[in-house]
Amino acid sequence: MVIDIALACIVLAMIFAIFRVLRGPSWGDRIVALDFLGVNTALLIVIVAMRSGYDSFLDAALIVSILGFLTTVALSRYLLVGRVMK
Amino acid sequence: MRRRPAALLAALFVLAHVALGQEQPVQGSAEQGLRGQVLAEGLILFGAVFILAAALGMLRFPDFYTRLHASTKLVTLGGLGILGGAALAFSAVGASERVLLIAAFFLLTAPLSGYMIAHSGYLGGLRPFREDSSVDEWQECGALAETVIAESRSEAEEIDRNQ
Repeated sequence: MVIDIALACIVLAMIFAIFRVLRGPSWGDRIVALDFLGVNTALLIVIVAMRSGYDSFLDAALIVSILGFLTTVALSRYLLVGRVMK
Repeated sequence: MRRRPAALLAALFVLAHVALGQEQPVQGSAEQGLRGQVLAEGLILFGAVFILAAALGMLRFPDFYTRLHASTKLVTLGGLGILGGAALAFSAVGASERVLLIAAFFLLTAPLSGYMIAHSGYLGGLRPFREDSSVDEWQECGALAETVIAESRSEAEEIDRNQ
């Protein structure tokens, strides 16, 4: 029951963040919302793993959180400088 | 056109039902008893409410910097709550180390990504929504921001030319 409520809260938060990605006034708002979406996807996978009982989902959550961090760094750096690597 | 959010919600609901068809929920272990289970569920509820508050702040705040403030801080607290509750619940199965690994990585990278976004947003020229509500020390030092961003852009172009 509590897990279902947490799942609903996270899905609602992701819908708000998708709204902010689609209609951010500036590119900074879009990057903030994409970072938020990445973190929320990892937490959603952890909660789905708790609910379904498969602990193999935790590896997927770790990979998704690493990918979200790298995406945030690469996007902010690319939009500022024009290159990702040095 | 106006009914698109309702259709999106319905599609998400159906997807959630398909994905969560078989249920074998992870409960607290026997030696933890009822107290550990209640503690884990309380932590998860705490984190989920904080994440919902972060999303509301990101939806309603007027500015890039205030949205970044809401997103980064509240998501750090809420995510650590959810991951702590999941670690308590997964200790029955013996998989709580991986949840704690995710929590450690998250605690390391969440302030770093917030710093990167704020840095690039400031140097990229995003302004706060009211100029008199902020103190901009870097701008008073003589327009350092434009020189920094111009230097990094010229470095990038030089590297492109050399390749």
